[in-house]
Amino acid sequence: MTRHLIAAAVLAAALTIVGCGSTDKKSSKASSDVLRIPYLADMSVPDPDVFYDIEGNSVILNQYEGLLKYAPGSSEIVGSLADSWTVSPDRLTYTFKLHPGVKFHSGAPLTSKSVKAAFQRRLDVGQAPAYMLEPVKSMSTPDDLTFVVKLKSPVNPFEAYMASSWGPKIIGPEAIETNAGKDFGQTYLRTKGDGTGPYKLTAFQRGRQYTLTRNDEYWSTKANFKTVLIKITPDIGTQRLELQNGDLDGIVKSFPASELESLPDSLTVIKKDANLRLLLYVNTSKAPFHDPAVREGLRSTIDVDQLVTQAYAGTATKSVGAYPEAILEGQPELPYAVDAAKAMAAGDKAKTKKITLAYTADESGVQRRVGELLQAKLKEAGFDVTLREVQLPDTYGYVKRLKQAPDLLLQTNTPDAAHPDTWARIVFYSTGGLNFFGFADKGVDKALDDALAAPEDEANKLYLEAGQKVIDSNSIFFLGNVKDVFVLQKDLQGVQSVPAYPWTIDYATLKRGGS
Amino acid sequence: MATLIGRRLVALFAVLCGLAVIVFVLQAIIPSDPARAMVGASASPEAVAAKARELGYDKPLPQRFADYVGRTATGDLQSSLRTRNEVTDDLATFAPASLELALAAAVLAAFMGIGLALALAAGGRAARVLRVVLVAGASVPGFLVALLAILVFYSLLGVLPASGRVTDTLVLPEGPTQLLLIDSLLALDPGVFGSALAHLVLPAFTLALVPALAIARTLATSLESVMREDYVRTARSKGLRERSIIVRHGLRNAAGPALTMGGLQFGLLLAGIVVVEQIFSWPGLGLYLSQSIAFSDFPAITGTTLLLGTTYVVVNFLVDVAQAAADPRIRTI
Repeated sequence: MTRHLIAAAVLAAALTIVGCGSTDKKSSKASSDVLRIPYLADMSVPDPDVFYDIEGNSVILNQYEGLLKYAPGSSEIVGSLADSWTVSPDRLTYTFKLHPGVKFHSGAPLTSKSVKAAFQRRLDVGQAPAYMLEPVKSMSTPDDLTFVVKLKSPVNPFEAYMASSWGPKIIGPEAIETNAGKDFGQTYLRTKGDGTGPYKLTAFQRGRQYTLTRNDEYWSTKANFKTVLIKITPDIGTQRLELQNGDLDGIVKSFPASELESLPDSLTVIKKDANLRLLLYVNTSKAPFHDPAVREGLRSTIDVDQLVTQAYAGTATKSVGAYPEAILEGQPELPYAVDAAKAMAAGDKAKTKKITLAYTADESGVQRRVGELLQAKLKEAGFDVTLREVQLPDTYGYVKRLKQAPDLLLQTNTPDAAHPDTWARIVFYSTGGLNFFGFADKGVDKALDDALAAPEDEANKLYLEAGQKVIDSNSIFFLGNVKDVFVLQKDLQGVQSVPAYPWTIDYATLKRGGS
Repeated sequence: MATLIGRRLVALFAVLCGLAVIVFVLQAIIPSDPARAMVGASASPEAVAAKARELGYDKPLPQRFADYVGRTATGDLQSSLRTRNEVTDDLATFAPASLELALAAAVLAAFMGIGLALALAAGGRAARVLRVVLVAGASVPGFLVALLAILVFYSLLGVLPASGRVTDTLVLPEGPTQLLLIDSLLALDPGVFGSALAHLVLPAFTLALVPALAIARTLATSLESVMREDYVRTARSKGLRERSIIVRHGLRNAAGPALTMGGLQFGLLLAGIVVVEQIFSWPGLGLYLSQSIAFSDFPAITGTTLLLGTTYVVVNFLVDVAQAAADPRIRTI
């Protein structure tokens, strides 16, 4: 009797668990009100004046707005909270006319004073994105809807900064005044928000999920989905299974390119142009690549066509020029041509044949695949290549220990905005943050400094000149333009993205077919 | 007993000190630049240097070590470079999920281990087959078990969820323990309880599998030996039922080695948490640690390592004490 009772209890418990599991699945299937998107990792903080990563962009951009933005699918700057703007002939004064009737999520009206307060907060907080406002000399608010910024000197990318995904966002008084505390509202904005965007941040559960709720008072076209759940799902394999089972609506980052062909019919793949670029950095501070002739030979081993075709499976194209194509016109074809004889001759000259090729970790595995293809080619040229996966912060330390750093580094990067300065200054400039092996050319630095305030035509010539010097040095190789790849449920429509906002889609324009 | 506890406490303190030193040395030799990672690619060299100064990374190594020891001794684990929260606050946020998972896995491992050991001890052809299965099972890596479990129970059968701690649309109870099973019971919320239980099954099973097999093998061997003892023979000759002999005499006397193995396996279980939480999107310390490593968030890495290390050492300390309580001979060792 007791045995039967125990068996019955175990069966009941199993049925309860299984029942709950299957109920979970049914309740979480596609709903016209809820959009489910995964993140591979937690974002750092949902504070636009601190946040300076990529994972988390969509939370910021769907919650906050700046004065300007990029038009969908392009690098054209258009008004966002500013209906219009003018630039003085000396390019020192920017006058923004704000859209009337805009309200923050807290209900407070948007005025020029709130814009000034938000700009001032970015400077006060002084974190990574603050550099975009460092050129500002003064700010004024002649009336409620006019905001004027004066610069210390002309800065060509200033409008691009305003439209950047990490550019100044207008944060409301709930954070800046009511809950400012002693840290300019940083503690408050670690879990809450007060923007003007189509969604409000209503829950921030680190490690689990973030909840965005539709802003029904939104001043422009209202979002279709009532709720967006950003789920922290660190394993891309789990993400894929959940997408296939209908428990997720889309994967917008790191979907393995090799698996795109084997997706079920219920899913669709959308590839959009982005400013993402795959680069191969060369450590010129030690043998063998301190020798220009060996670097010349290295150039002859790289088969860019093979890399983008085999590793990226149609999700990347061959690079043209030293800058993402969309941000600088008139760039020359890159002089990369495979030449086995040249490559081997250079390999013979190399003082050491043992080299390390590092690549930054990515969930999709594509950089490892590129590394393997390069490894094979370099082996043919006589090199003994060790592949090593590294974390992004590790690469920041290379410039301090160049002799111990790898010989080659593969990494995918993107500029902060669609402007050549925002790319060249971090990748080419001698002290640039993404200049991992300390490439230094005084001519390049001067060209970039001169271009900052030069008239547009002249500036573009200087950017091309700086780019050409980098290309000629064979210190950085520009391999591929990587596309944004979104794998979505087929019934999801209205996908909009911006090349300068990587791995990010506009949740507000998404809708289910027929909803 | 007091002497034993005193000795173990001294050993515990020494192990923790060693762990703290190892963690510091590791972060000192890793060629990373957390200051640059924090201020971003566009920051000027001056801004990077200022951030390094603020974080104390510009100081000589001995001074950094002294600061680190002083802070750690007072429980100040600094702020996370990534979340900007105090690391102690982050640990308090993430630890309950790991605790719930580890406890569930430990209980499951114990039950599975004892069950399998009894089946092995019963002998016969079934036991021989089971022994082969155990050896094979113990050699399967945790991540593979996790993936297979997800494929079978989530993808194929659709009976259990693949990720998370609870269904995403549920509102969680603000309970006192932060353990969802307990808090949902206290809040009389069967929806959350059922969902939490369903979400717990696969990660707990994955974590419990290897410890359960190790416990089973150890317990079975010990049980076989005990069952040949004179007092067992005496019990049999008195006409006691075999099941009663095993449960009342065999298991109790065979438990010592299994307890030791259980303590050791708990360490492996804590190590497995990092992988299992990653695959099952379980919002615990393993997930926090792996995210922190990708960001070179040294304060967070240090805090999590110290907490997991302390837990492991404390659990083994408790196992030692439990063993001493069960077997007086150990108290003199």
